[in-house]
Amino acid sequence: MIGEHIHDNEEKPNLEEMSPLSRRNFIAILGASAAFTAVSCTDYPDKGKIVPYNKKPEEITPGKANFYASTCNACPHSCGVLVKTREGRPIKIDGNPEHPVNQGKICAKGQSNILNMYDPERLKVPQVIRDEKLVNSTWKEVDSTIITALNQAVKDGKEIAVLCNTITSPSFAKLISEFKEKFPTTKIYPYEAFVTDNRNTAWKACYDNIPQFAFKWDKAKVILSLDADILGTEGNHVEQIRQITSKRSADELKSFSRIYSAEAGMSITGMNADYRFRLAPQQQLDLVLTLLVELFPREAAELSLNTVDYSFTKFASVNGLSSENIKQLFSDLRQHAGESIVYAGDKLPGEVHIAVNYLNELLGNTRLYDTESPVVEYISNATVQDFEQLSTNMKNGKVGILLNLNTNPVFHLPEDIGFAGSMSKVRYAISLLENLNETSKLSNIILSGSHFLESWGDYARRAGIYSLQQPQISPLYDTRQKEAVLLSWIRGAYNEQDWHDYIMSNWEKEVYPKVAPAADFKTFWNTSLHDGVTAIAQNKVVFSEFKKDSLKNIRVKYPTQDFTVIFSESFSLGDGHFANNGWLLELPHPVSKVVWDNYASIAPATATELGLTFGDMVEISINNRKQKIPVFLQPGMAEKVATIELGWGRKEICEVGLGAGFPAQSLLSKAGGLTQLIYSGAKIGKAGEKYKLVTTQENHLLDELFVKDLHLRRHIIREGTIEKYQKEPNFIKVEKEKQLSMLKPHEYTGEKWAMAIDLSKCIGCGICVTACNVENNVAVVGKTEVSKGREMHWIRIDRYYSGSNEEPIVSNQPVMCQQCDNAPCENVCPVVATNHSPDGLNQMVYNRCVGTRYCSNNCPYKVRRYNFFDFRDRLADGYYQQDSLSLLHNPEVTVRPRGVMEKCTFCVHKITEARQTASAEGTKFDGSNIVTACQEACPAGAISFGNVNDPESAVSKARENNLGYSLLEELNTNPNVTYIAKLRNINSEDIT
Amino acid sequence: MSIDYSLEPSIIEGKPGLASIDSTIAAPMETRPNKNFYMALSVTLTMLGIGAVCLGYSFYYGMGLWGNNNPVGWGFDIVNFVFWIGIGHAGTLISAILFLFRQKWRTGISRFAEGMTIFAVMTAGIFPLIHVGRPWLDGYLMPYPNQHGLWVNFTSPLVWDVFAVSTYFIVSAIFWYIGLIPDLATLRDRTVDKIRKTIYSIFSLGWRHSNRHWHHYEMSYIILAGFATPLVLSVHTIVSFDFAVSILPGWHSTIFPPYFVAGAVFSGFAMVQNALIFVRKIFNYEHIITLDTLEKMNKIMIATGSMVGYAYAMEFFIAWYSGSPLETFVFVNRAFGDYAWAYWIMVSCNVIFPQLFWFKKIRRSIPLMFVVGVFVNIGMWFERFVIVVTSLSRDFLPSSWAYYKPTLYDIGILIGSFGLFFSLLLIFTRTLPVVSIAEVKAVSDGAQPTHHAGGSHAE
Repeated sequence: MIGEHIHDNEEKPNLEEMSPLSRRNFIAILGASAAFTAVSCTDYPDKGKIVPYNKKPEEITPGKANFYASTCNACPHSCGVLVKTREGRPIKIDGNPEHPVNQGKICAKGQSNILNMYDPERLKVPQVIRDEKLVNSTWKEVDSTIITALNQAVKDGKEIAVLCNTITSPSFAKLISEFKEKFPTTKIYPYEAFVTDNRNTAWKACYDNIPQFAFKWDKAKVILSLDADILGTEGNHVEQIRQITSKRSADELKSFSRIYSAEAGMSITGMNADYRFRLAPQQQLDLVLTLLVELFPREAAELSLNTVDYSFTKFASVNGLSSENIKQLFSDLRQHAGESIVYAGDKLPGEVHIAVNYLNELLGNTRLYDTESPVVEYISNATVQDFEQLSTNMKNGKVGILLNLNTNPVFHLPEDIGFAGSMSKVRYAISLLENLNETSKLSNIILSGSHFLESWGDYARRAGIYSLQQPQISPLYDTRQKEAVLLSWIRGAYNEQDWHDYIMSNWEKEVYPKVAPAADFKTFWNTSLHDGVTAIAQNKVVFSEFKKDSLKNIRVKYPTQDFTVIFSESFSLGDGHFANNGWLLELPHPVSKVVWDNYASIAPATATELGLTFGDMVEISINNRKQKIPVFLQPGMAEKVATIELGWGRKEICEVGLGAGFPAQSLLSKAGGLTQLIYSGAKIGKAGEKYKLVTTQENHLLDELFVKDLHLRRHIIREGTIEKYQKEPNFIKVEKEKQLSMLKPHEYTGEKWAMAIDLSKCIGCGICVTACNVENNVAVVGKTEVSKGREMHWIRIDRYYSGSNEEPIVSNQPVMCQQCDNAPCENVCPVVATNHSPDGLNQMVYNRCVGTRYCSNNCPYKVRRYNFFDFRDRLADGYYQQDSLSLLHNPEVTVRPRGVMEKCTFCVHKITEARQTASAEGTKFDGSNIVTACQEACPAGAISFGNVNDPESAVSKARENNLGYSLLEELNTNPNVTYIAKLRNINSEDIT
Repeated sequence: MSIDYSLEPSIIEGKPGLASIDSTIAAPMETRPNKNFYMALSVTLTMLGIGAVCLGYSFYYGMGLWGNNNPVGWGFDIVNFVFWIGIGHAGTLISAILFLFRQKWRTGISRFAEGMTIFAVMTAGIFPLIHVGRPWLDGYLMPYPNQHGLWVNFTSPLVWDVFAVSTYFIVSAIFWYIGLIPDLATLRDRTVDKIRKTIYSIFSLGWRHSNRHWHHYEMSYIILAGFATPLVLSVHTIVSFDFAVSILPGWHSTIFPPYFVAGAVFSGFAMVQNALIFVRKIFNYEHIITLDTLEKMNKIMIATGSMVGYAYAMEFFIAWYSGSPLETFVFVNRAFGDYAWAYWIMVSCNVIFPQLFWFKKIRRSIPLMFVVGVFVNIGMWFERFVIVVTSLSRDFLPSSWAYYKPTLYDIGILIGSFGLFFSLLLIFTRTLPVVSIAEVKAVSDGAQPTHHAGGSHAE
């Protein structure tokens, strides 16, 4: 061997022929290639790095949520909000419980507003038009351009027009006045779209120098709502829902209020009214005058109103109403004078408002005005005339700069004002926005605005109630908030801290001295920030005398020819600002259950007359303005009236909202009809085409006998009147049968979770649906998928009609997983993906689910939702998979993949969290502090949740309630959701 | 005129010799397929391709491409599954039950019918696998020991299905194969082609037609027939449990097991009859699969069809008699609701048209019986559609009702299932004897020892 070796060595190796690779290098390359192969074979996609905090930020503990108070600015009501943040990113907006007005509740828009912040299509940097092309710019560049332009405009004496929403912020109002000082040619145009100013004007006509008041609805025994959706779109409906429904409890029958609604369309208020009168808007004045004449003949005589022209019988017969019910209204108002509220809708003409003010005055209802905290008006809103003038000025080149602060006048203003056309005459049309819109399309400088969750601010919509807005996250993009931008233009330079310091110093001067200072300002400021709101007791405003002059021209006959069209703001999209928000677009309309569209609601009888059916396109023309829109056959509509929601049909909008609805505001005119929002003399003609209107509930007209009243026949809805209940407290239980079981029921020794829903309180607004969507990462599926019945909402509001097409009786019922003790879904799942927890929950194990859908088939409540697709990928090609939206998700709730069944879990993550906290703190866990997302959001407080094994809990009491029943009892599924039957305050034992 | 009913007419017509039986039945395997065969195969393969493409899309994008919606969780997927399982039933009934009852007329058709069973079960078996949202996790439906301690839910009829269908397939396949062994040996002996010889040799398991072999064969065949017999009843019973065990009105019904079995036999016979009409013509088996046999099948169809009709009537009666408004609603809704069209297709195809078989002329007329057979299959497909879809689309809460509309993908997959079934059938006709050579020989005239001297062994 050795010899051989030596022998081998004796031969000289030929270095030329040998590989130049040394052994060392060879091994190195071998190792490297093996490593590279191994690495490249892994399919682990680069999801970015997860790095622990090097230095832990103050207050942030991974896995633990922080809550910060702020103020919502989605509408002028400026509700206080409490924002849940996880690891520094906001994931849920709820009402701030400390806020005296909204008291922990927030509307559907407020709930979904969080999606607006994470909207991937937000404006990310300032943009300017250069060579007719929109190019990205920088704040530095646009600031210097604009500041020069502002100075130039002042020098040239040209107007600087500033458009913004209603001003409800004291600091912003102050800032505006400073801005005006600095740039004296400034004119400010605050406005709200699709709202008339009639209430305000009428109020000013009736009373001197006193502000408008909110009502104390919770003190009212009788409410008469005239074409006003007080539970829906009008006023601060979150507050109103809470106050009104607080008087709709079966436990306190004595104070149970009675709601009358006289309206042409079917509104949420109308759905929930005890008595509802179908009334064309032209007749509303007559109704008020009739009441005036019948209740106060003497005062009426002064106005030369008499019983010949105005009497119940006449009014009832002219309008085809039951005179008995009108008389009931009369006697209720008389009996409850001083404890009733007559409320006219914003869209009604000024005369109605004046007459209503007078009626309230005479009835002594003025004591129900909230005189402690009236509505504050900082700068009066601009009128249509103001805008007309502005448009003319713009056209004539008198306007140097048009500054649009997060509004959309091109979309909002009646077309005949010609705003869009005039804009081209303005040298600097500047829009500061979150998302592009119709106005920004015509602007030459577009500034990227911050979302309210990225902004500082202060608000005081009601006197003495100051709330603060603080950023929850630093701006996601290169955005600035409007106030800071104006301030930087005044000061000539931008500083991030400036606006914050501005508010602080303003508070130090204005607010701090008003509170009896118990601490230094810094402490006060921090406390205010922490609480989000500071309430300062105000002196009651003393009523001035009612100005009877205002009643001079009270007798008006409104034109009634042809069709009347009533416009109102969209329940879910507001003035169109939220038209790119998938959650809101997919929120079923509380009345019609239509999603992703607006439509013209007409009465079924009117439809028959015109030969129209559901989804037919019609052309509505008012004078020369025309708009095509699909019709929806709405039971309970007044005949020859159409109602249309505005805010839909945005043309310049991001991907999600594009194509949703119809721009019916094109039918508005600057001259208005009866009012800016009510037009008579409209013509409705069949347009010939058919449109696919999508609803989440099938539409059955009430004349289909086969399916009529099925919800009553099947005892899905059980309800009665107060009279019936008083006589026979157990009336809904009469048919209850004793359920037998072959098996011994399972014993629940520890906690057992249950829910109770008071249907007397539930008004069907759908706010719980949006809250659930946000809490549980519920996917938006889009119109096409909803049309196939594939919406993913874990909670839905079922709406049923009984009665007739003319006088429908509406019943609402929120339905979520009933967490049955004997759950039919569980025993059919082949892989035990759905099973029962020891605390009585019907659990869903997503990882194990194969997706046979058998559970859903066997669920009698049809609350299970199936991921037919990867919906996040499906909508507009992966729209919901974009980076910013992954920040939105609640990390406590799994994002469900395709092919998996999902459903309501009673917010099991909240239960678990509470249990963990109790365990960590060593306290006894009884679940009394667990609040589910729907419960937290319900402004009516209709939902209670808790441990049914705890006799003190609200749910276990609800179970014992005489009115408690469960859905489809006869199936013996033993649901853990108890419904408290609805009581109607009707003067009869039967609901007719 | 007195007729001696004990004298059965011969099963096989024309007294063919044993060798001619061999060559007739083996002919398709020993000759090259003609143009017609390839045309037929290309049609069925195209259908299969359509199905495969639709399925591919469904796998890629999700089964949302189908028409299933929220109340209607099952649509064409499960309709097709039950339909194909039903088609399979005739085969087992013919080969096992009729075997045990010594019904000799089954001889000519049993092999083919069994083949159809296997192909139908294969086709059917695809649907439970693909109807789920995450088909790659189908394995979860099988109980297998694992570290997670996860187990299937034995209270779920879907798990019963897994066992019922897989047992059915395995037993049918074994039964079929055992029956094939003597024939494979015959083919082995006949062929001169080396490859074929090798294949036939392997699969005939060394069969030498010895007495001992026949003895074992007969024993195992009868045991397997005994095994298969309860399966005829159990498989569709368990499939019907998918519905009957639920609480849904229209599904929750004790009548389902017998009703489903009768329906399955009904549709299975219709399908076998349809296919055999072609087979006997194309391969000149008219003397083996005789008109008499077809007539007997038609008689079974009228019997089972009437049972199905009775079940329809009884469902309505019970719906009324139970006094349950939900039940009543479901059945009134079936007949007069949104899906009334499907219901009346079902009733006319399943109950009315088969009544034509009371007329001997129609029973023995090939074109007419073919048409009725097609109707029966349409009707039985619609029966499953009516049961699955109408019950789901309008159940307990009117708020959740929705109308189910199949999409092109659903239709494509349905077409694909027919494509798969008929492709397999076509390949079968060219690769294996579609009629049992051994059994036909056994029932042909003169095969049995007889007292009469008249019995001859014509060669």
